[in-house]
Amino acid sequence: MTSIPMLPKNAPFAPEDIDALNKVVAKTTPLQRSWLAGFFAGFEAAQGGAAQPAAAAKPRLPLTILYASESGNCESLALKAKKVAQKHGLDAKVYDMADADLALLAKAKNLVVYAATWGEGDPPSRAIDFYNALMSDAAPRLDGLRFAVLALGDTAYAQFCEVGKKIDARLEALGATRAADRVDCDLDFAKQATAWTDGALGKLAPADTGASSATVVHVDFKGGGYQADDDEPQFSVENPLEAEISALVNLNGTGSTRETWHVELAFQEPGFTYLPGDAIGVMPENDPELVDQLLRAVGLGSDAALLLKVQKGYDVTTLSKAAIENFAKLTGRADAKKLLDGDAYTKFAADRQLVDLFETYSEKMTAEQLLGLLRPLPGRLYSVASSLKAHPGEAHLLVGAVRWDSYGKKRKGVASSYLADRRKMGDMARIYVKPNRHFRLPEDGNKPIIMIGAGTGVAPYRGFIEERVELGAKGKSWLFFGERNFTNDFLYQLDWQDHIAAGALTNIDVAFSRDQPEKIYVQHRLWERRADIQKWVADGAHLYVCGDEKGMAKDVDATLLKILTEAAKGDEDAGRVKLKELTKAGRYQRDVY
Amino acid sequence: MTDDKRARNEIIKENSRQLRGTLAEGLQDVVTGNIAEDDHQLIKFHGSYIQDDRDVRGERAKKKLEKAFSFMLRLRIPGGLMTAKQWIALDDIASTYANGTLRLTTRETFQYHGVIKSNLKRTMQAINKAALDTIAACGDVNRNVMTAANPHLSKAHRQAYDLGKAISEHLLPKTGAYHEIWLDGEKVEDKSGAAKKDTEPLYGVHYLPRKFKTVIAVPPDNDVDIYAHDLGYIAIIEKGEVVGWNVTIGGGMGMTHGDLTTYPRTADMLGYCTPDQAIKVGECVLTVQRDWGNRENRARARLKYTIEDRGLEAFRAEVERRAGFKLGKPKPFKFSGTGDPLGWRQSLDAKKGEDKNWHLTLFVENGRIKDRPGMTLRKGLRAIAEEGLCEFVATSNQNVILANVTAKAKTKIEAILKAHGITTEVSSRLRANSMACVALPTCGLALAESERYLPGLITRLEDSLDKAGLRDDDIVMRMTGCPNGCARPYLAEIGFVGRNPGLYNLYLGAAFDGSRLSKLYAQDAGEEKIVALLEPIFMAYAKSRKAGERFGDFCVRAGYVKATLAGNQFHADIKLA
Ligand code: SRM
Ligand SMILES: Cc1cc2nc3c(=O)[nH]c(=O)nc-3n(C[C@H](O)[C@H](O)[C@H](O)COP(=O)(O)OP(=O)(O)OC[C@H]3O[C@@H](n4cnc5c(N)ncnc54)[C@H](O)[C@@H]3O)c2cc1C
Ligand SMILES: Cc1cc2nc3c(=O)[nH]c(=O)nc-3n(C[C@H](O)[C@H](O)[C@H](O)COP(=O)(O)O)c2cc1C
Ligand code: SF4
Repeated sequence: MTSIPMLPKNAPFAPEDIDALNKVVAKTTPLQRSWLAGFFAGFEAAQGGAAQPAAAAKPRLPLTILYASESGNCESLALKAKKVAQKHGLDAKVYDMADADLALLAKAKNLVVYAATWGEGDPPSRAIDFYNALMSDAAPRLDGLRFAVLALGDTAYAQFCEVGKKIDARLEALGATRAADRVDCDLDFAKQATAWTDGALGKLAPADTGASSATVVHVDFKGGGYQADDDEPQFSVENPLEAEISALVNLNGTGSTRETWHVELAFQEPGFTYLPGDAIGVMPENDPELVDQLLRAVGLGSDAALLLKVQKGYDVTTLSKAAIENFAKLTGRADAKKLLDGDAYTKFAADRQLVDLFETYSEKMTAEQLLGLLRPLPGRLYSVASSLKAHPGEAHLLVGAVRWDSYGKKRKGVASSYLADRRKMGDMARIYVKPNRHFRLPEDGNKPIIMIGAGTGVAPYRGFIEERVELGAKGKSWLFFGERNFTNDFLYQLDWQDHIAAGALTNIDVAFSRDQPEKIYVQHRLWERRADIQKWVADGAHLYVCGDEKGMAKDVDATLLKILTEAAKGDEDAGRVKLKELTKAGRYQRDVY
Repeated sequence: MTDDKRARNEIIKENSRQLRGTLAEGLQDVVTGNIAEDDHQLIKFHGSYIQDDRDVRGERAKKKLEKAFSFMLRLRIPGGLMTAKQWIALDDIASTYANGTLRLTTRETFQYHGVIKSNLKRTMQAINKAALDTIAACGDVNRNVMTAANPHLSKAHRQAYDLGKAISEHLLPKTGAYHEIWLDGEKVEDKSGAAKKDTEPLYGVHYLPRKFKTVIAVPPDNDVDIYAHDLGYIAIIEKGEVVGWNVTIGGGMGMTHGDLTTYPRTADMLGYCTPDQAIKVGECVLTVQRDWGNRENRARARLKYTIEDRGLEAFRAEVERRAGFKLGKPKPFKFSGTGDPLGWRQSLDAKKGEDKNWHLTLFVENGRIKDRPGMTLRKGLRAIAEEGLCEFVATSNQNVILANVTAKAKTKIEAILKAHGITTEVSSRLRANSMACVALPTCGLALAESERYLPGLITRLEDSLDKAGLRDDDIVMRMTGCPNGCARPYLAEIGFVGRNPGLYNLYLGAAFDGSRLSKLYAQDAGEEKIVALLEPIFMAYAKSRKAGERFGDFCVRAGYVKATLAGNQFHADIKLA
């Protein structure tokens, strides 16, 4: 649904007039709208004289909003920006880099980019083509272009906001003019991003808009004057829901080398809705023991109130470059600063956590100073493993416990250990919904689906199948599941057996890597079954890949390419094209982390 | 099928297309570790049982996991004789596909536990590559044939072994199902005409009513427990050569708690035959049981009940009729005991200057070959195998013999054993003469612990033995987790049979040489009661035994229990303590 400005209900007209006007406006082009704006402005200017068209109502400035997004943050920022653009008298079009090309850039006059960084400094998968083209020599000069870039990232990663930085620099190199400075956002990007958008669009907006000119009647859109492009979920990081943990089971059998928790969250709140494919965000709390270690390391051991505050709200594990930098600045420790030289950081940070920094360079500091060093505790996302239709008032998650030993310490993932160790049935947890428009069942329930996942990557497929059962979808389905050992690690085995018996799951292939001398992974099963996979794809199957990026998704992607290449009589380019087509058509969707 | 009184297994066999059933299809179903219900019965004939880990049954469902299914595989190793190469192969399989242990059984072979379905075929093929198989190791057929321990011990032992091997081959099922399903052998026939093209001259489509077990003894050793088996041969030896065989039939251990129509039974003497008649006699005993055996009630389908119901005379007559010759009068012989003489021993013919090689019998507690801290038995035996210093013989007492060792190899072996902390010392003779069945967690029929429990119980009883000064006296003690009797407990001087977790029936009074059954002495005894009951008997035995009197005989003379002179008297005149 495109965004045409509609008169808000609170506009100074009778309701029926608002409707009437909106009917007309709904059909208008940007030009017509600017003309109208100019016309009335001219009319006003004519001091109540006979109405006459303003000589030439200059059209509002066009704005191109471009985003590179994997899990949807940049996407929703871009869509919000489109609304804000209205205020600034900009006529905005929003493009996903997945659907954009350089020609679009060449035409653009004003450009705002929202870019996320994934992998290790890589662009989101759907943005790769555009990104590479932009970086290549094929990229056109962009002298007339004015632009601004917002980068989303996570300071936990060495290549913080790399993609945003690269795009920002490249646009300048191609001759475009920076209208607003780039800002690199960490996971807590919401406030910063809103402010940046407003500022950047202000700079890009036509000089004569705003109070100085009357070409546009300023309207307070807060009343929700028009249809939102995207229905933002009611519960968000900023506004999580308190849900009760109604089940908490480690699905791995005794003797397993794995620890994977099935978590059921129960809520009465009807406004809390999700679709299979979405992720549920969990706002965790830190392990009080770890926080205590940290506080003692900086001489704040006895401060119980502080401990609670940090435990609930601050990130005390992520050992980022930024953290080291700030720490070195605050304490003036040159030796700590050295950690930023060369590969010293990667060496030190590997397998370590923030507490190691504070303990290695033990320095006393005040509570304020400490809090100044800590970033807010980010929520963690978990692919929802249930269908709301099958389990009204419930959301199920599948959480892999993150644990490792290093430097004489037992390490735990914050959120996974929060659920696995520090929560029990009946406790509450703060959650929110993270919609994922790019991991969805096909609209058409008759379309076959092929679901590929290893470990916790199987989670969304449980929701998929449950949803299809509820919808009475007739389409064939095929699950490829991988883990370590058949006997103890077959996640949701009984559920799959039931679905097969009921005909809700058509095929299943499993790859257990440690049951036999040679390692067998899902991509090997895919290759074995390639003939049938090719048939299914020809029959319009949708492909899904979920789970660990490094561990699985890359290899699966390569194997799918091999399979499509074989189908294309060995022509690898044809295979690659086919895979791209599937991606563009939304028939190859990935939810990797 | 309403008027069809046959046991369910009979129909399963009949419809199985000579033991094929849906096994091949079942292996393809990757979402479960289980196989079809009827195939549970059929796979036994292929030497395997489906089991599940009973230790974790409780947790599985709430973890959304099915039972922890896995397969037990039992090898067919006539006489228990293996080359060093075969040992290495078997050892590899244990860690590659099974639970990392080799389990010597009470019938001269090995079992693997914990093989999951997806590895079953590869395991079978690995076994086959070692020139071994699992065919007919279980099921209603002639099982692995046991022969007096160590073919290399003497000429007579070799002859016993040769006969045993010949019988095992002769009575093997002929169906191509095994090769077809496990070894990708070419399909013997299409589904339709199984019975037509792929025939069983001996077994037909119904095979036997029940399992059938054959053993061969060389007096004075009765290590194979001749009286516990359906068919037995006792070597009659003149000048070190076997001149003929006394044939025994109708032994068996299994019974059901509370069902007095079932009972262990010691075998009867059928008669005497010459070496060249031996196989024919065996075949006829098998076919008469095939045709006369009870096919309606599996609890009474063993040969021992056929003999009870039809009478020994009738059975002998029919065997002689089918064989076409009469059996002679049994020749005299004497058994000394059922145990394995532990330690080094030289070939019996050595004095005749024929074969001067050595043989080392190692005590393996309850047959479980694995590495423990301080004693890496599995690694040690493997090292010896890799040096090619000996052959290996699995005994009927769950022990292993390093056989056919030259004097030079002997010292090498001793060094390797030392390096791996493997001693020939056993803490007491009671332990050395003990056996326990597998039971929990793998055995689906176990009512109580056995293999995992007996060692600790013995440690406690050794205190009692010390008080009585009996640590160095041979007393045979066996435990099973249920009344099926897999460790032949009813032929032990002290027998424990599980009734409920932690509770055992206590049997006393069996003969040391395995010729007389025991009798129930106490019911549902826990550990405290067991010790409290046995300690005074140990004391009394130490004090008032006659010269050379065995513990079992003493228990009868001193009146703790009445002697059981025949299987059908097993449940008679019981006086509980
Ligand atoms: C491994 C072994 C015990 C051991 O600790 O070594 C064993 C183990 C089992 N026996 Fe046995 N039997 C073993 C020797 C015996 C013996 C002793 C003998 O034959 O010398 C007997 C008593 C003699 C006899 O047959 O009467 C024996 C009588 C049984 C019976 C009762 C048969 C009967 O006629 O009542 C069963 C149950 C059945 O067949 O219904 C049984 C069944 C079983 C099963 C397969 C349980 C089952 O049917 O599900 C056990 C597998 C346990 C596991 O997890 O491994 N097993 N079983 C022995 C393997 C011998 C071999 O290599 O073939
Ligand atoms: C869209 C999306 C969907 C997701 N879905 C799921 C899901 O369904 N199930 C699921 O379990 N997770 C899922 N995740 C991952 C999840 O969000 C968390 O990242 C994960 O649970 C770890 O969080 P934590 O707080 O427990 O660990 P953290 O406290 O965040 O610690 C993780 C960090 O610890 C370090 N680390 C981890 N292991 C080791 C090691 N062995 N050695 C050294 N360092 C190590 C690494 O730096 C790692 O980044 C998803 C992520 C995304 C983005
Ligand atoms: C698997 C994974 C890898 C990531 N890699 C990086 C990275 O290398 N650098 C970075 O700054 N942020 C990285 N991030 C953080 C994302 O950029 C951040 O979550 C951003 O908000 C995602 O925006 P999007 O939802 O528009 O894709 C990574 C996140 C995930 C889940
Ligand atoms: S005796 Fe009973 S418990 Fe022991 S192995 Fe045999 S069947 Fe199992």
